Amino acid sequence: MTTMVSVKSVTKIYRRGSEEIKVLDSLSLDVPEGEFVALMGPSGSGKTTLLNLIAGIDQPTSGDVVVGGKNIAVLSEGDLAKWRSHSVGFIFQFYNLIPVLSAVENVELPLLLTRLSKKERRERALTALKVVGLADRSSHYPRQLSGGQEQRVAIARAIVTDPQVLVADEPTGDLDAKSAEEILKLMESLNRDFKKTIVMVTHDPRAADRAHVQRHLEKGVLELR
Amino acid sequence: MKYLPFVLKHLRRNWVRTSSTVVAMAVCIFLLCTLRSVLAEVDGMLAASQANRLVTRHAVSLTFALPMAYEARLQSIPGVKRVAKTAWFGGSLPAKKEGAADGTGDAEASTTDWSNFFNNMAVDVETYFAMYPEMVIPPDQWKAFLETRSGCVIGSKLAKKFNWKVGDKFFLESFIPPYRRRSGPFEFVVTGIYDADLTKYPGTDVNSMFFHYEYLKEGVAPRDVGVGTFAVEIENGDDAGKMTKAIDALFENSSAATLTETEQAFKAGFIAMAGNLALLLNGIGLAVAFTILLVTANTMSMAVRERRTEIGVLKTLGFSSAHVMGFVVGEALVLGVLGGALGVFGSQGLLYGVSHSPGVSDILAGIGLSGLELKPDVALLGFFVAVILGLFAGLVPALSAYRAKITDILRTV
Repeated sequence: MTTMVSVKSVTKIYRRGSEEIKVLDSLSLDVPEGEFVALMGPSGSGKTTLLNLIAGIDQPTSGDVVVGGKNIAVLSEGDLAKWRSHSVGFIFQFYNLIPVLSAVENVELPLLLTRLSKKERRERALTALKVVGLADRSSHYPRQLSGGQEQRVAIARAIVTDPQVLVADEPTGDLDAKSAEEILKLMESLNRDFKKTIVMVTHDPRAADRAHVQRHLEKGVLELR
Repeated sequence: MKYLPFVLKHLRRNWVRTSSTVVAMAVCIFLLCTLRSVLAEVDGMLAASQANRLVTRHAVSLTFALPMAYEARLQSIPGVKRVAKTAWFGGSLPAKKEGAADGTGDAEASTTDWSNFFNNMAVDVETYFAMYPEMVIPPDQWKAFLETRSGCVIGSKLAKKFNWKVGDKFFLESFIPPYRRRSGPFEFVVTGIYDADLTKYPGTDVNSMFFHYEYLKEGVAPRDVGVGTFAVEIENGDDAGKMTKAIDALFENSSAATLTETEQAFKAGFIAMAGNLALLLNGIGLAVAFTILLVTANTMSMAVRERRTEIGVLKTLGFSSAHVMGFVVGEALVLGVLGGALGVFGSQGLLYGVSHSPGVSDILAGIGLSGLELKPDVALLGFFVAVILGLFAGLVPALSAYRAKITDILRTV
């Protein structure tokens, strides 16, 4: 199985004034293509930082992050933005939908960066909504949707560009048990049926159990369990 | 263009704030356009003045008359080419147009119709028109004007407004007591219609009426009306400064000292009786524009602060910092464009209303501001200022959005 995500000896240091905080310490991680990995660990262990590095929204102080064969640690900010637009889908804990846009417009948003026509963009967005089971809510605004539905729209937005990798930062953290179950089922389906490689940060052991592999972080280092 | 609906949707998010910002911007542009139009009209009027024409008036005030005998003394000054007596008649069409003029009616009871006020002056016809070659009268009409004591010439714009033709008669009654006569309003017959090449002589007034000074003098006899102002043409416009001093020096110790100015300075002084108009109007315009810049910048900053998370999300989705900056600037520009358009249309509406409302337009015409309108260059300036204001207002919040780091934003969510 080919490796989709390869984190090689990555160190991440944040500077707060004169103080240096080492969040990740020479961390290495390989995620094979089509894998569903759960990253767990206490607050401040560096799991969200690792996720941000894999998603290309942050860059390591040292080391390499190779996603889909591309070392994104060396990309400029502009190139990184371009790479994110088609290579990775991000699922947030608090959904982060744009309130003034309807469900389908929210899903369509990443497609504005493509050369697709308006019609093609709309068709793709509706298809993504259909995949998450919300085709009938396409014209609803976020305020008209439940938390679970909002997260499903957010997932549709993450998959609409057909990225190779999905990263999710506590995707069930703001949901009730029933909605969380639906979201996890959806993520399983995306992994199983659409062969998406998923890296998920979670505190919830039940959510982590749905992943194929669980990795634990402690003070910026992956623990072997 | 594909991003425009996205930008517009954001503007609709808080429509009260958006519309109040647009209205504030519109008020600014409205004031700017209106004030600039007034100044442009004043400038146009002053531009029609020539350096070799001077105006001599009473040193104390325009409302005091000068003795007629000054005419000969002015004429004797070396360098003076022509001198013409003038009197601003201040006449308006009486509400009762007929009856009083022939002495059959009660003249004192006739009321003035201010709604059709226009500039009218009694002048020494031959010398005055010789000084103003830009005012052109057909030769036959000029001949008739000279031969008819109650004759008058009217500007082409005035003729069009009242639909007056050569041969038409009308009555005017002055609101200035010495120019009123017991027998009632003065009767005039239109003997000519003057025009001007406004391309060659921009700002030339074609909205006035001129009649014989002698007609006024005889009409109010035996009362001595004196002379309102003397129009003085000098040989050389370059000597204007020297000549004004020489004229005023001549009458320095007489009972009626004079104040002589170039025609341009005289007109400017007439307009500036309400104060330094240009400074006042420009000052108001600048102050309002600066205030609106701060208001709009504050609005945009608030809008960006509220949407910090969205900015982070957009960047996460792959929108570059330049994209996000463009959205913020785009919103500010849309505010500017909407405010500018609204302000320009508002100004156009007001100026059209003023220049077409019977009372106000006639009063403006009476002081030489007959062509008050929103000119295309002023409208363009207003629109340009609105866009620039929008751009500047959006710049600081846009830079803040540009610099915002995704990780910093998402950490605070």
